[in-house]
Amino acid sequence: MPSRDQHQTDARDAGDRLVAAHVREDPFAAAFKATRMPMIVTDPKQPDNPIIFCNAAFEKMTGYSNEDVIGRNCRFLQGAETDRETVARLREAIAAGTDIAVDILNYRKDGSTFWNALFLSPVRDDAGSIVYFFASQLDFTTVKSREASLAAARHQAEKDVAKHMADLRTALSARSLLVHEVDHRVKNNLLTIASIIKLQARQTKDEGQKQVLMSTLNRVEALSTVQRKLFTLDDVSKFDIADFARELVADLVNAIKRDDIHMTIDLSPVFVPAVKASPLSLIVNELVGDATRRGLSDGGGKINLVVKKLEDRFLIRVEDTSDPVVVDSESAEIGRMILEASVRQLGATLTKTVDGRRTTVDVTLPIENPLEHE
Amino acid sequence: MMKVLIVEDEALLALELESEVEIAGHEVVGVALSSAQARDLMQSTQPDFAFVDIHLVDGPTGIDVGRDLAGNGVPYVFVSGNIKKLPPDFAGALGAIEKPYTMNGMKNALEYLTAVVEGDQALQPPASLVLAPEKYQVA
Repeated sequence: MPSRDQHQTDARDAGDRLVAAHVREDPFAAAFKATRMPMIVTDPKQPDNPIIFCNAAFEKMTGYSNEDVIGRNCRFLQGAETDRETVARLREAIAAGTDIAVDILNYRKDGSTFWNALFLSPVRDDAGSIVYFFASQLDFTTVKSREASLAAARHQAEKDVAKHMADLRTALSARSLLVHEVDHRVKNNLLTIASIIKLQARQTKDEGQKQVLMSTLNRVEALSTVQRKLFTLDDVSKFDIADFARELVADLVNAIKRDDIHMTIDLSPVFVPAVKASPLSLIVNELVGDATRRGLSDGGGKINLVVKKLEDRFLIRVEDTSDPVVVDSESAEIGRMILEASVRQLGATLTKTVDGRRTTVDVTLPIENPLEHE
Repeated sequence: MMKVLIVEDEALLALELESEVEIAGHEVVGVALSSAQARDLMQSTQPDFAFVDIHLVDGPTGIDVGRDLAGNGVPYVFVSGNIKKLPPDFAGALGAIEKPYTMNGMKNALEYLTAVVEGDQALQPPASLVLAPEKYQVA
């Protein structure tokens, strides 16, 4: 087996012959030697396809001298971290005699690594057989490291986003748990308040006291119903006042059991923000309650409840036909106070007209929120 | 007249519901605050009907109590502040009364339920009672 020295001598001779084939002033040879692009030439006719020529730029890039590289196969540039698959692709291209461009991790003489954009192509003679392989290299480590740091930054950003999303989800589920807990307590407390009033009303022997307690219960229950209905909607920020009115009337008709009181309703969905739900519901409750009290004491009558949206405002109308009677002045007074306070809170307008046996009360509320147009 | 079991962890609410049920002419055979008490009372009192809260002293165990009642052929309704928590089949319940119910709402529901338990299907269900989905109704 020929020695390394022999190989090197053969390779150098081949390189010399290659250069000698060009006259001294050959601009191509001069350019090849002087270019800043690292380049090598290998000779596939010699055993193990050794490097027979390298330029100064190649020496500078790799740290190897001309002396170091001539006669050796290029694989000494590879190292532990070099991708084996890339090496295999190079080997296949050389065996097949085709061009190849690959990015490969190479090692300098001092052991440091660099990213090499390698282009390798066969050089053929006139007969078409391969006489040399020509390879150009480019150190693109800075580009690669910028890519790597960009990728790392992106990775970090993705991790941060994922963490923030997880934090948000945790906060949201804690919040929704809290909202449900508070809602549950509010409902239970409202029902407990109602229960205490009912228990007390049952205990008392005084008819007047009982009436006062029942009228208090009536208002507490109106607010309870608002709380119950607020959370049955998917959107807790909206409340359908017509739905409230429908249930109020249905429960009332069912409970008073008076065939001589005829209730009719004309309701269409009227969504208001949750903040308006309580005063509006109290208004409907007072108007219906007032009309019912008159009907009850009068011995029958007709009550018609209208809740609808007009052009630019909501209308709540309660009409009743019965002989006007003087109701208990204390309960009339508290009813009036609740009604007026609620109307004031909403910026609504209340008009009451009495025409013989017919009483009509209109409450109109301006639509001011885009939400309410839906 | 029905023998009624009340399963409710809020003692004041249970007390008031007891009065309401008795005023309507029924007998309250027991008030249970936990699922264990509910099962004991179900066995010892053999009620005709029950009101069941979802959330009891020992957690959200009302649904299991309900399934046991249904398994023993006892008609019942849930009384809860969050009926959205109920399984699609209402755990065999006739329906649910959502808290906070009104006095009229409870009266109307009780009247309707009494009629149903006694075999009278002619009444219209009141607004205060959310019936179980039709395909799951036992009647």
